[in-house]
Amino acid sequence: MNELAPISKADEATASCLRRLGTEWADFEARLHATPLVKRLDQGKFRVEDYRALLLNLRQQVKDGACWIARAASHVDEAHFELRSILMRHAATEHRDYKMLEQDFVAAGGQLKDIQSADKNIGSEALSAWMFHEASKPNPFGLLGAMWIIEGLGSMKAKEWGEAIVAQTGLPRAAVSFLLYHGDNDDDHLKEFEAMLRLVAPAPGVADRVVKTARVTGRLYALQIEEIAV
Amino acid sequence: MTADAFLIATGAFMPGPPIPNARMEDHIGRVNGRDSALGRRALRWNGVETRHYALDDHGVATHDNAGLAAAAVAAALDDADRPSRDLGFLATATTQGDLIVPGHASQVHAALGAPPLELASFQSVCASSLMALKAAVLNVKAGEARLAAAVGSEFPSRWFRPERYEGTDLVDAKGRLPVEAEFLRWTLSDGAGAALVAPRPAADRISFRVDWIDLISYADRFETCMWAGAAKADRFDLSKSWSALGPAAAFAAGAIALQQDFELLKPIIRAWVARYLELVEAGKIDPDAVDHVLCHYSAESLRREIVELLVAAGSMISEEKWFSNLKTKGNTGAAAIFVMLDEFARTRPISPGDRALCVVPESGRAMVGFMMLTAVDGAER
Repeated sequence: MNELAPISKADEATASCLRRLGTEWADFEARLHATPLVKRLDQGKFRVEDYRALLLNLRQQVKDGACWIARAASHVDEAHFELRSILMRHAATEHRDYKMLEQDFVAAGGQLKDIQSADKNIGSEALSAWMFHEASKPNPFGLLGAMWIIEGLGSMKAKEWGEAIVAQTGLPRAAVSFLLYHGDNDDDHLKEFEAMLRLVAPAPGVADRVVKTARVTGRLYALQIEEIAV
Repeated sequence: MTADAFLIATGAFMPGPPIPNARMEDHIGRVNGRDSALGRRALRWNGVETRHYALDDHGVATHDNAGLAAAAVAAALDDADRPSRDLGFLATATTQGDLIVPGHASQVHAALGAPPLELASFQSVCASSLMALKAAVLNVKAGEARLAAAVGSEFPSRWFRPERYEGTDLVDAKGRLPVEAEFLRWTLSDGAGAALVAPRPAADRISFRVDWIDLISYADRFETCMWAGAAKADRFDLSKSWSALGPAAAFAAGAIALQQDFELLKPIIRAWVARYLELVEAGKIDPDAVDHVLCHYSAESLRREIVELLVAAGSMISEEKWFSNLKTKGNTGAAAIFVMLDEFARTRPISPGDRALCVVPESGRAMVGFMMLTAVDGAER
C-alpha cells in the first residue's frame, strides 16, 4: 500500500466527501442486511425461489440504469465535458447488463416471459423515478452519490452474495453470472469514481448534494429489496 | 468531568513459552487424531507466528483465566512500584471466564489477593477491554478511585481441545470441523494484559493521558458474527440457545464451541472502517497528527478496496506508524490491546506529545472501539 501517494490539500474536498460517503455506504449496507431477503441469505436459508425473486425484481431497475446515466450525461454542460465523456462510456458499458439477469433467471428455472413482463416493485418505482428526476437537472453532479451506492453493490456485495447464493441453493455458477461477473469486474471502480468526484467536489454545495443523493438512493434501493416477498 | 486520567503503568502475563506454528497441535490437540487441513490457511490469514498457551504439550491446564489476569495486574503494579492495597477499583475484561457465575472480576480479585476494593466485570469479546479501561478511566476522572486497574485476560485454548468437539454435530462424516469453528482454533490464544489508571502521570517516566475512548455497538443492524452458546443456524433465535437447551443437549448440538461467520464479517469490517471515517470527518481523529497506531488487525489483512478508500479519503495512517505484536504474542482477544500497549511502552521510542490511536474491533455482534492516548512526561509537569 506504500506506493499509493497521500492526497494533496487541493483534494481535501474530495477526501471529505469520500469519508462521508463511506459512512453512507455502511448505513446503506446495514439497511440491506435488515431486509427479509438479505436476512434469509445471512441466515443460510436462501432458496432458489428467493434468488429468482431477487433477479425478477432487480431486472426492472437495472434495465433503467444505463438510461438514467445517459440522461445525466446529456445534462452535463460543456465546462464539464470530461465528466460527460466518462458518464457516456459508463452508460454504454452497462446498458446490456439486464440481459444477464434474464439469462440467470432462465438458468435458475424461471420463464423468460415472466421476468420480461414483471412490474417494478414499489421501491424500484421510487428509485427509478428519483434517478430520472435527478438526471434531468442541469449538471446533475449529485448523481455521483447514486453511482457510489449502486457501484458499491457491484464491487462489494455482488460477489459476496453470488458466492453465498451458489453455496446455499446449489445452483451452478452459470446461473449466478450477473452477481459473480460484477464482483469480478468492478475492481477499479473506486479509482474511476474518485477521478469523477475530483472534477466536481470542490465546487460549493456539490459534496453535500452527492452525500444527500447517496443517502436517498440507498434508502430507496433498500426499499426495493425490502419489497421482495420471501 | 474535566479531570485527566493517565495510564501510568502496564503489565502482561503470557503463560508458558512461545509456541511456533508447527507445535500448536501438541497443545490444542488434533480433532479425531487428524492434522487440521484448514490450519495453514488460517495462519496465512492471521499472520500469527508464535503464541502462548496455558496448556502444556499434553493439553493439561497450567493456569486458570483469573490467575492469568491477576498475574498481569501484579506485573502492572510491579511496573508502577505500587502495592495492591493502593487499588480502589478493578475492572476485568474476558470472553469466557472460569465460572459462569459470579463475575470474573471476583475471581481475579481473589487471585490477586488485594484488600477489599470496587469491582466491575465486563464480558464481551475483544472490545470488553475498552469497556473495562473506560470504566477505570471514568472512575478516576470522577474522583471515585485514586488508582484503578483494567485487565483483559483470555484462556480460549482449553475450549479448542478435541474433546470439546468430538461427539458433537460440529464434526462431519470425515471427522473434520467446519471452518467456522476450526479457524478460531488457529487464531486465538491465551494471555493477559493490564493497565493502571491514575489522576496524575508517573513522576519518573512516560505515561499516557487518555484523551477519549469511543466505543460503539452496531448490534442493532447486524446478526451475531462470532459466538458460543448456539449452533450456527440456531444463533438467530435465542429460544434455541444453550441456556434454553441445557448444557448436555447444547454440547451434542455443537452449540458450546466458539464460532465465527466469515461472510458476515465482511460488512462488519466495513462498518468499523466507516466509524473511523466518521471520527476523521468529525475532526476527532487527525490522521496526520497520529504518531502510533495500535490495532490487533494488521494493515495487511485489510482488503485492498478498504485501503484504497482510506487513502483516497485522506484517512490512511502510514504503515510505519502501526505497532502490533500479533505475530509473536498471538491474538489474545480482550487481552490483546493491553498486551500490545505493554510491549509498545517498553520497546518503542516514545516522545512526550506523541499521540497513539488504539483500535479495538470486535466482530461478536459488531462493535468497534477507538482510544486516543497522548504521551506525557511526568517529570516535566
